Amino acid sequence: MQKINKNVVLALLSLTSLVFLLFQLYYYKFYLSQKNGAVFSKVRGSQSGQDSTRWHVVRKFLGLISSHNIPVYLIDPLILGLVDKDIERIRSSPDGRSPECKYFCAPRDFTTFALLDKTWKHEVGLFRAAEKMGFQWLKIINKDPRLDGMDDLSGVEIPLHYIFKLASHAIHLVVFYERSGNYLWHGPLRLKQHMDRKFVPFRKLHFGRYPGAYEKPELLLVSIDGLKVQIPKNPSSFLEEMSHSRFLECRYREARAFFQLYPDDASLDAVEFRKKAKSLLHLAALTLNNLGVKFWLSSGTCLGWYRQCNVIPHSKDVDLGVFIRDYKADIIPAFQKAGLPLKHKFGKVEDSLELSFQGEGDVKLDIFFFYEENDHIWNGGTQAKSGKKFKYLFPKFTLCWTEFVELRVHVPCETLQYVEANYGPDWKVPVKTWDWKSSPSNVQYNGVWPVDEWDDVIQIY
Amino acid sequence: MDEWKPNPAVKPHKKRSWYLAWKYKLMNQRALRKLCQTGAVLFLLVTVIVNIKLILDTRRAAYEEEEESAQDYDDEMLNVEVPRHPVSNKKVLDVEVYSSRSKVYVAVDGTTVLEDEAREQGRGIHVIVLNQATGHVMAKRVFDTYSPHEDEAMVLFLNMVARGRILIFTIKDEGSFHLKDTAKNVLKSLGSQVAPFLSWRDMWTFVGKKGGEVYGEKHAKSPALSTWGDPVLLKTEVHLTSVEDAECHWPDTELNRRRKRFCSKVEGYGSVCSCKDPTPIEFNPDPLKDNKVFDVPVAVIAGNRPNYLYRMLRSLLSAQGVNPQMITVFIDGYYEEPMDVVELFGLSGIQHTPISIKNARVSQHYKASLTATFNLFPDAKFAVVLEEDLDISVDFFSFLSQSIHLLEEDESLYCISAWNDQGYEHTAEDPSLLYRVETMPGLGWVLRKSLYKDELEPKWPTPEKLWDWDMWMRMPEQRKGRECIIPDISRSYHFGIVGLNMNGYFHEAYFKKHKFNTVPNVQLKNVESLRKDAYETEIHRLLGEAEALDHSKNPCEDSFVPDTEGRVYVMFIRMEQEADFTTWTQLAKCLHIWDLDVRGNHKGLWRLFRKKNHFLVVGVPASPYSFKKPSSVTPIYMEPPAKEEGAVAVPAVAAAEQT
Repeated sequence: MQKINKNVVLALLSLTSLVFLLFQLYYYKFYLSQKNGAVFSKVRGSQSGQDSTRWHVVRKFLGLISSHNIPVYLIDPLILGLVDKDIERIRSSPDGRSPECKYFCAPRDFTTFALLDKTWKHEVGLFRAAEKMGFQWLKIINKDPRLDGMDDLSGVEIPLHYIFKLASHAIHLVVFYERSGNYLWHGPLRLKQHMDRKFVPFRKLHFGRYPGAYEKPELLLVSIDGLKVQIPKNPSSFLEEMSHSRFLECRYREARAFFQLYPDDASLDAVEFRKKAKSLLHLAALTLNNLGVKFWLSSGTCLGWYRQCNVIPHSKDVDLGVFIRDYKADIIPAFQKAGLPLKHKFGKVEDSLELSFQGEGDVKLDIFFFYEENDHIWNGGTQAKSGKKFKYLFPKFTLCWTEFVELRVHVPCETLQYVEANYGPDWKVPVKTWDWKSSPSNVQYNGVWPVDEWDDVIQIY
Repeated sequence: MDEWKPNPAVKPHKKRSWYLAWKYKLMNQRALRKLCQTGAVLFLLVTVIVNIKLILDTRRAAYEEEEESAQDYDDEMLNVEVPRHPVSNKKVLDVEVYSSRSKVYVAVDGTTVLEDEAREQGRGIHVIVLNQATGHVMAKRVFDTYSPHEDEAMVLFLNMVARGRILIFTIKDEGSFHLKDTAKNVLKSLGSQVAPFLSWRDMWTFVGKKGGEVYGEKHAKSPALSTWGDPVLLKTEVHLTSVEDAECHWPDTELNRRRKRFCSKVEGYGSVCSCKDPTPIEFNPDPLKDNKVFDVPVAVIAGNRPNYLYRMLRSLLSAQGVNPQMITVFIDGYYEEPMDVVELFGLSGIQHTPISIKNARVSQHYKASLTATFNLFPDAKFAVVLEEDLDISVDFFSFLSQSIHLLEEDESLYCISAWNDQGYEHTAEDPSLLYRVETMPGLGWVLRKSLYKDELEPKWPTPEKLWDWDMWMRMPEQRKGRECIIPDISRSYHFGIVGLNMNGYFHEAYFKKHKFNTVPNVQLKNVESLRKDAYETEIHRLLGEAEALDHSKNPCEDSFVPDTEGRVYVMFIRMEQEADFTTWTQLAKCLHIWDLDVRGNHKGLWRLFRKKNHFLVVGVPASPYSFKKPSSVTPIYMEPPAKEEGAVAVPAVAAAEQT
């Protein structure tokens, strides 16, 4: 009796485990198809099926796009990284066909392409055709930032991202817009309430967490894995650019609120100063960019951007920050060549360096050099008559792009901390009298220059 | 999971064997085997449990990951979207219509769609068109049939409305005085019993379907000439039809989808919504060879005059060389219908929250539109600025393409305009001829980005200034002596009658007889001679060739200019200094050209045509061209009429042009 019982139990258990095993297999398959299998295909060993799917999806997408005459280019960091390794070979043989699928089969969830907005009409036909080919697609639209700064314009949302999904692979199409300041911008990817949050694993997208700013790329038509595709001419520099492309929009709404409280100065003087400051900033940006020196808006100019999206009319100069590691001896001659003579030079490369150039009509350009320490960043100031040194401390920051007076420039990403360090918690209140030695909330007395160094560290022209 | 049931039965067995196992471990082989078996069972069980847990875990993890991943990308503006009104599946609409001396209103399903109790306005017959399937308001009009000709407009409108639409009529104050029989018959054909007998100060409401049933009609007769009929309130029900029945069955194309969307929303656009052979909404005009303005953005400044906008966009999109992608329509206010028109043509439109009032509002709208245009097209060096009440000539872009390089190269130019202020039917002749003028005509013009960004935008009049943007742009502080290039025959036509500074009389007098070019592909003559110095040479040549007219005759008389063709004539008028336009204004008045302020002059010289002869007017001695005056000729002086008229009228109307 007991024996029979036991056998029955054993048989039942075996059956159960068998059923269970089948269930597991089924579940595994189901999971695979849902997750596009990027992670699993590696584990599985046999890749070819998944790999060629990706290639096929890309091929189909490129076919779709070219049949609608829409010029896209490849910006997928993964593929561009692979391409970059073989860039010489790919460039030299534009029609060369390698037997193996080396790039478009690489394991990944997405392939990312870019599209310049102005090069296509927003045809609905594309999406119909895509649907016919079996693509599911998602369009992400949002406000047009080019109109954000404008009082009260509305009514248009522009497409920022498209996702085309076919089988287990998806194409992410990032729409780039040209903006004032001669650069390209792409928007953040934000899902509206009703959208399918599981359409694709959004978190794995390479573009869209933040908006980004890029230079207009030079493109190159190449053949990769038998597919003709446009890529940035220099993939490695594109990838480099991508790594710090984050863009901050000016806080237009807050700026409007600020102007409600403190109406803008519309006097002729203010108009004139803004015009001069703008052209000075354009000239400075041109000069520094040509030298390859990275700079950002600092002090009053940064405050103007952050608080009111404009030059503060009662500030008397334009302030820029540069990391001392980016200092180049050519800076002074380059500015002189650009028609901006050196006004004064305080400090030295090793300590508290600050350069001032004389712009047109009394507007001064100040370049402060910033020194990085373990837990903070600082720049120095020098009082000419006494040789006193001052130190302005800032929490560490990284650099983001923004647009200011029709120029693409850097600002600290952590702008609020930067501005608060400099101007204290009351930075929102305009102050007309400002003493650079005592007003900033982050100023520290930093001793006196030794008298024998004065000729070097205090130069006034 | 029924398979699991035996498990509990194993448990006691397991427990016992546990204990036994210790006891018989070494001496009983059977016990050992049993132990192994039990172990196997146990192991299996544990595996199963662990596996289940694993599955659940991965599932939850995957789920969470996706949740989380989406979170990063959630729109911050959650809850901003207002839930739309649920589409009601109701088949019957309750309609309430009220007619009285001082107030009218119409309510559909409890929602007021018309309410007018303002004094001194809204007199006449109010008409509302409802979609017979959705009940949405498609058009709202008021025809002041107390005044002449308004009934004709109403007939025109009613004829345009598609069959099957629901029409609601109600009279405010008076609607019969100039309601002619034609109009009464149209109303009768709609099913109205009362319309043919409508009379002075009657109150009347009517709801019916075009070409179909009547849902209700109420009428209150005025008892005496001096009193109004009693207010009437009509309450009725309207049965909705299915959406399919309310729509036309056009072939399913992208264009027709736009058309369908448009036609289900608004009425009063004529054959664009005809089921049979509707008017095209895509025009595909010939492209221009070597089009230099293909990439120039076009800003269309619009208000709430959707019918105008419709007419304007049709002509714009029919112009050769147009690039629809560069067109942006800026609508001053959150008006739906103009936006519908923009979408019908597949263009992009931007709405602008109204700020400020009247002139300043237009001015602020202009500023926002121009700034937005240059933001949207950061590469553009120019922008074409158009208004919603302009017809655009077929060779508008060809004209600009041939002349735009001047604006780029000649610093002394302020703008290129398609409009010649003095180009009337009887004063303009040569479509290939261009002028330089010191005044800025507007009405279809090209703005240089650098001029806007560096000069105009920073000091654009602020809202509280209440200035007209065009008057401001004409001020010497802004113009700085620069000139505009204009054609002899205008490339735009101003058809707007209802406007801020517009009324029927004004339009009739100053705009209706304006000449408008309809010839395609006009090759402009001698464009290079429009440059600053070359133009002087050209003028000198022209004056050298010109015959002086007989200055003893009256210049207002037709006989002043001989009956010739193709000659060049010159006359000299008195002009004491640069700003002395006394004689010119009188001359302009009698020539029936623009006389409200001075337009079209270049250094004291005006150029126009009379009887197909080029006709030059030189102001002596202020003009540098005065030396061309033969010594025998005495400049003509014309006295302004009685003081009161001249002094009062001019400044008052000076502000009143083009809007």
